[in-house]
Amino acid sequence: MLTALTRAFRTPDLRKKLLFTLGIIALFRLGSVLPTPGVNAENVRTALEQAQAGELGNIYGMVQLFSGGALLKLSVFALGIMPYITASIILQLLTVVIPRLEALKKEGQAGTAKITQYTRYLTIGLAVLQSTAFVALARSGQLFQNSAELPVLLNDDIFTVVTMVITMTAGTAVIMWLGELITDRGVGNGMSILIFTQIIAVFPSELMNIFRSRGWFTFAIVLIVGVFMVAAVVFVEQAQRRIPVQYAKRMVGRRMYGGTSTYIPLKVNHAGIIPVIFASSLLYLPQLVVTLFANSTTPNVVVEWIAQNLATGDTPIYMATFFLLIVFFTYFYVSITFNPVEVSDNMKKYGGFIPGIRPGRPTAEYLNYVLTRLTAPGSLYLGVISMVPIFALALAGASQNFPFGGTSILIMVGVGLDTVKQIESQLQQRNYEGFLR
Amino acid sequence: MRDLSFDELRTAALAEATFCAAVREVAHRTIGERPYDVQLLGTLAMLAGHVVEMGTGEGKTLSGALAAAGFALRGQGVHAMSVNDYLARRDAEWMEPFYTALGLTVGWVSETSTPEERRAAYAKDVTYAAVSEIGFDLLRDRMRTDPAELVQPVPQVALVDEADSVLVDEARVPLVLAGAADPGAAVPEMAALVRRLSRGYHYEIDDEGRAVHLTAKGTDTVEKALSISLYDHAATVTEVNLALHAHALLTRDVDYIVRDGRVHLINASRGRVAQLQRWPDGLQAAVEAKEKLSPSETGEILDSITIQGLLTRYPTIAGMTGTAVAVGDNLREFYDLKVAVIPPNKPCVRIDEPDRVYATTIDKEIALVEEIAAQHATGRPILIGTLDVAESEELDAHLRERGLAPVVLNAKNDAEEASIIAQAGERGAITVSTQMAGRGTDIRLGPDGVAELGGLLVIGTGRHTSSRLDNQLRGRSGRQGDPGASVFYVSGDDQLLTAYAPDEALPTPGRDRQIRDRQADYLIGHAQRVAEGVNVEIHRNTWRYTRVLEQQRRQILEHRDKILYGEAGAEALAEARPERYAELVAASSEAEIAEAARQIVLFHLDQCWTEHLGFLGDLREGIHLRALGRLNPIDEFNREAIPAYRKLLQEIESRSTASFAAYDPDQPLSEQGMKRPTATWTYLVSDNPFGSDWDRILKRVSSAIKGTRRRKG
Repeated sequence: MLTALTRAFRTPDLRKKLLFTLGIIALFRLGSVLPTPGVNAENVRTALEQAQAGELGNIYGMVQLFSGGALLKLSVFALGIMPYITASIILQLLTVVIPRLEALKKEGQAGTAKITQYTRYLTIGLAVLQSTAFVALARSGQLFQNSAELPVLLNDDIFTVVTMVITMTAGTAVIMWLGELITDRGVGNGMSILIFTQIIAVFPSELMNIFRSRGWFTFAIVLIVGVFMVAAVVFVEQAQRRIPVQYAKRMVGRRMYGGTSTYIPLKVNHAGIIPVIFASSLLYLPQLVVTLFANSTTPNVVVEWIAQNLATGDTPIYMATFFLLIVFFTYFYVSITFNPVEVSDNMKKYGGFIPGIRPGRPTAEYLNYVLTRLTAPGSLYLGVISMVPIFALALAGASQNFPFGGTSILIMVGVGLDTVKQIESQLQQRNYEGFLR
Repeated sequence: MRDLSFDELRTAALAEATFCAAVREVAHRTIGERPYDVQLLGTLAMLAGHVVEMGTGEGKTLSGALAAAGFALRGQGVHAMSVNDYLARRDAEWMEPFYTALGLTVGWVSETSTPEERRAAYAKDVTYAAVSEIGFDLLRDRMRTDPAELVQPVPQVALVDEADSVLVDEARVPLVLAGAADPGAAVPEMAALVRRLSRGYHYEIDDEGRAVHLTAKGTDTVEKALSISLYDHAATVTEVNLALHAHALLTRDVDYIVRDGRVHLINASRGRVAQLQRWPDGLQAAVEAKEKLSPSETGEILDSITIQGLLTRYPTIAGMTGTAVAVGDNLREFYDLKVAVIPPNKPCVRIDEPDRVYATTIDKEIALVEEIAAQHATGRPILIGTLDVAESEELDAHLRERGLAPVVLNAKNDAEEASIIAQAGERGAITVSTQMAGRGTDIRLGPDGVAELGGLLVIGTGRHTSSRLDNQLRGRSGRQGDPGASVFYVSGDDQLLTAYAPDEALPTPGRDRQIRDRQADYLIGHAQRVAEGVNVEIHRNTWRYTRVLEQQRRQILEHRDKILYGEAGAEALAEARPERYAELVAASSEAEIAEAARQIVLFHLDQCWTEHLGFLGDLREGIHLRALGRLNPIDEFNREAIPAYRKLLQEIESRSTASFAAYDPDQPLSEQGMKRPTATWTYLVSDNPFGSDWDRILKRVSSAIKGTRRRKG
């Protein structure tokens, strides 16, 4: 991978693309730390430190992780790329419901371009909503629980508030543009690279926290474990079972190369990161229940039990539930994204078959058989990786967003692998060592 | 232009003005045509390297010839590319006096030209040829083993006629050069076997009519007949599939015709017989077996190039067509070309009527024949454009039943094209034609009051897969301010609607069985936009997947040139096997051994390239499966293609040294069998037919929703 990078830097146009991407990332980070006009940066920092040390530190930590620390700093890029992602998801769902959108989608690139344009408008709309809600929270002092004595805004007149909303909305639009610039003129998928950047951004401060609170020994162990974990995730993410497929449409002539290059790659972790996100979101519900009913005068047995067992991550019941949910969602997600019947129909249509197996239903059954068995280790792996931050929390006192575990490592490795692959592919197209000369 | 001073600009403008004045006068004196101002405008835009849009009958040919002369006078050789041999020859011969008067030479190439004629034609200042001929000549040149046999010079200017058709429509399928390797291994038994199978029970055809497959019952029948377990024998599966494809998907007189005991392909985008074209990979033999003809030789793909790969070799590209704006985005994306729109000399007064939509083909045909009979009664000339050969013959039969006497122009009689078209504008003419009349030919109105009758009426029997093709057909009428009208008849059974908008239903027809509803217009437009989107996607995929291939080919050709023109082959072999080289030189002469080395290395280089192409073809066919493992198919393709290329280079080296070690100077190079190249087309599969994860989830959700709706409703 490193050699690929150095070689990429030696190829002029690829170097240009890489530097362009790095430049955009730098701009993105700058915008994430740059406070919005009207924010009392000093007070925000103090309040944030207190909040993270407080009892709801976990939630604040989560928010920090997914916004790259931008949101709670009330920076220009406070909203990050979430509005854009939300807008794309909403539009994708709308294509199912609205026939005109579905028709547009079928019309190929021209139609897709129109849908992208709608996505951009919706992003701006969502950004206005979110920034308004967020600035309103900050203005009323509810953003941090303890900010009553530490006013977050310098001045809470309507002009300042409107300026902040406009700035954050504009920031979201700029982020959207930066992402598209990376996709067009840089390397990798812009949106993924920006998410990647947001996640990586909190690493140094997290590691510093561990170093400060636990000393150098724990710090070193965390680092070693971290490197090992990354290696393990890279290994499993690339593991696949290859099911050979033959296309019987042409007469085969002489062959120079042995082996088959036509196969269906079934990944061990076929579901990717989605099951973890589903499971985490679902387990957020008990916490919500507890917060909602915590102040009621008559203590409810059920709420009590939930508060004890499911609201915090360090109880065995929480861990077991989390694990089981991940396993369940892995199977669920694989079953809806990989439809063996559809795959076998497609193969049949184009004259493909798995040697020794009839096209059609027998092929679908075979694929299903292999996939089900492959998903078992895949789901266990996802579960274990996701438990790491929880164990780390229990053992090393690291916060929930312990860098080398859970969603962050999966996203990190996923985006990293994709990007490196893309660089390699572009590199290979350019660098042909002349063997014949 | 931006950096020029005022004086320089004035000089440039004066030079252009002088050029225009001169060529206008020369054209007037030599061929009797005095170009209009708008034609000169078109010429200048082409000289600036644009694709110009000029309406039908505006005189594109003359405009293009002036531009070609402009390039040639600058000292650049021009390849004027047309869509077919007939137009190439017609234009070259028509414009010859004009070029001669300017001191320029002009030549043309057609399919039947000999290599000598081709070489002579390419040596001229301006060469007219069909784009496929230029491509095939390039492919053949890349396989020559003697520099004296090359026919094409270094490319300089490409001037493309009907630019949208050539650069966009034809660019979807690569030009393929196939060599006759062995006599065809026909499988008459398979043809006989599949003839017994019936559709729906033994096999099924997909909605787009592009693929066929055996059902479980069909597999049982085949296994019983052959008494094997079919899917353990890939070669047999291939034979069965090919026979089935020929039997079920290829229709005589639509996809091919049988003439002189041979199968001739019909080029779907033009409705003409495609000479020297064959189906790839055994399909040709399967069709011959189906028609019970004796098998022709089987082809092996030797080399291929896309239209894009061909055109981008030219430092300067210019073009002209009646419909360029609609493909403006494509031209910019794939060729970095801009479109210049030239206004018409006289405004077009043709009346384009809205589509007449019917629910079924039968309703449509009845209305169509009625309309033709009614219009014909007034004496108005009518041109009917059909979508394929079979449809044109069917319509001919219907019209004859009504006592009308239409003239049919299709793939079967394309030799009479010019005379048929010359009479199509006469009073009382009824001409039924496939798309071939859509391009490059001009229909002049008869002198005896045809204009008063409303001019030529163009009727389309169905909308094409692209609005450009519709407009080309409409454009047959209303040239140079002539009166005219056009109308399309559409039915819900038309392939455009069944293939590209299969889920939507047309509104219910009125009492006269015609559907008058804006929803129908929207639906037809939508189906056309879907079709256009699909085609652009195919083009883009073709290009993405051939980019690596053409890059590799370019490098291989660099090596090849060094071997062909220089002594690189001998040097490499002398280095690899010094003692053998010395021994052979001692036995004969240095020059002889150098020549032998050249031929040996060239043979293996071409042979290995052919095998490499075969490998990439196989790889391409199944690469979309990688998307199932969330891998990007194009990246995966490149990752596999590049190591294969490295292996190819090693293989050339090792095979050459092995042959050289075993070389016997007293024997002719027996390995070097004569390869007589013939041309053919290939088929393509789409990149990721499964869609992304999201697409798949949404598809399931939407089908679930639709399922509940249907149950409720």
